[in-house]
Amino acid sequence: MNEKQKQNNFEDLKQLLKLKRHEIPPPGYFNNFSGQVVSRIRAGEAGGARTFMERLEVEAPWAVSFLRIFETRPGVIGAFATSVCLLLVSVVVFSERADKAAKAQLAISEATAPVGSPMASMTSPTFVAASDSTGIVASTNPVTSLQPVATLFGQPGSSSLFQQANFAPASH
Amino acid sequence: MLEGDLVKRARKGDLDAYDELVKRYQERIYATVYHMTSNHEDANDIAQEAFIKAFQALKSFRGGSSFYTWLYRIAVNKTINFLKQRRNKNHFSLNDLDFNAEHDPDLVALISDKTPHREIGLSELQKKLNEALMQLSEPHRMVVVLHDVQGQSHEEIAEIMDCNIGTVRSRLFYARQQLQGYLAEYAKPA
Repeated sequence: MNEKQKQNNFEDLKQLLKLKRHEIPPPGYFNNFSGQVVSRIRAGEAGGARTFMERLEVEAPWAVSFLRIFETRPGVIGAFATSVCLLLVSVVVFSERADKAAKAQLAISEATAPVGSPMASMTSPTFVAASDSTGIVASTNPVTSLQPVATLFGQPGSSSLFQQANFAPASH
Repeated sequence: MLEGDLVKRARKGDLDAYDELVKRYQERIYATVYHMTSNHEDANDIAQEAFIKAFQALKSFRGGSSFYTWLYRIAVNKTINFLKQRRNKNHFSLNDLDFNAEHDPDLVALISDKTPHREIGLSELQKKLNEALMQLSEPHRMVVVLHDVQGQSHEEIAEIMDCNIGTVRSRLFYARQQLQGYLAEYAKPA
């Protein structure tokens, strides 16, 4: 079927659609229309700041369209929430797997590295923890020394600036 | 006064100038929304809101297209958003047909020649036509309304609906086919 035949097929339909042009609003309807629009604009200006949604509609219509998807299709809300949950779970699972893989790789490299190699001379966290004389198990090298410090200014009696307090009554 | 001057004044907050712009386009904007919704009250609300939004957004109007096209785009988007929210809740509030409808030779001929029930009145035909239109998707209905009812060109529709001319043509063809199916009794192929 060529284009002309296709067009001819719609002639009746086009004539029928002309009926729509004869549908007119009540008499005098347009006499007040612009006045109502201007009044509503004035009322809006007098009413002060627009709402957040009104401002969003003007400044970011794409965001409003996005939000309206949720309003019109409730199924999309569920799908969106499910996908967010799945994403979170997969991130957690992936990070745990990555952690285990890194530990396993470290253990393998320690086991296979020859003695004296730079790799072997590296102290692993477990080695540090085992060799800690205080018995405190730390998975990483301690940031501060765990050795007990007797006083803030060093060992008692090691400085001549300090004297031990003596509360015994003086013998005169 | 030229449209450009009115737009400039309206951008500065001149409501008299904007009132003039509203008067120029109110009938076309209202008609488009009305034919899309088949409801006078809804069309009134949406058309007013479209003009109000256009005034608020005038500062963002860069003049890349004509004010008329830009305004149409706002009205079309508002209408489509409204219809999406109101999906499956159609309630007609049809406007009356004007006096000329009864004397339109095309319509008179159509009724007398094509309809199997010759006694069908224009009002019933109007109802059938609106029901058929409401069965189309919003973009397809919009193309039919803008082209076959309002007489806009393919290029204008493409600009208003922010799509290419090929899309407009294919939507129009598909929509007409659908309508012909719904209105088979009244609009048979030649």
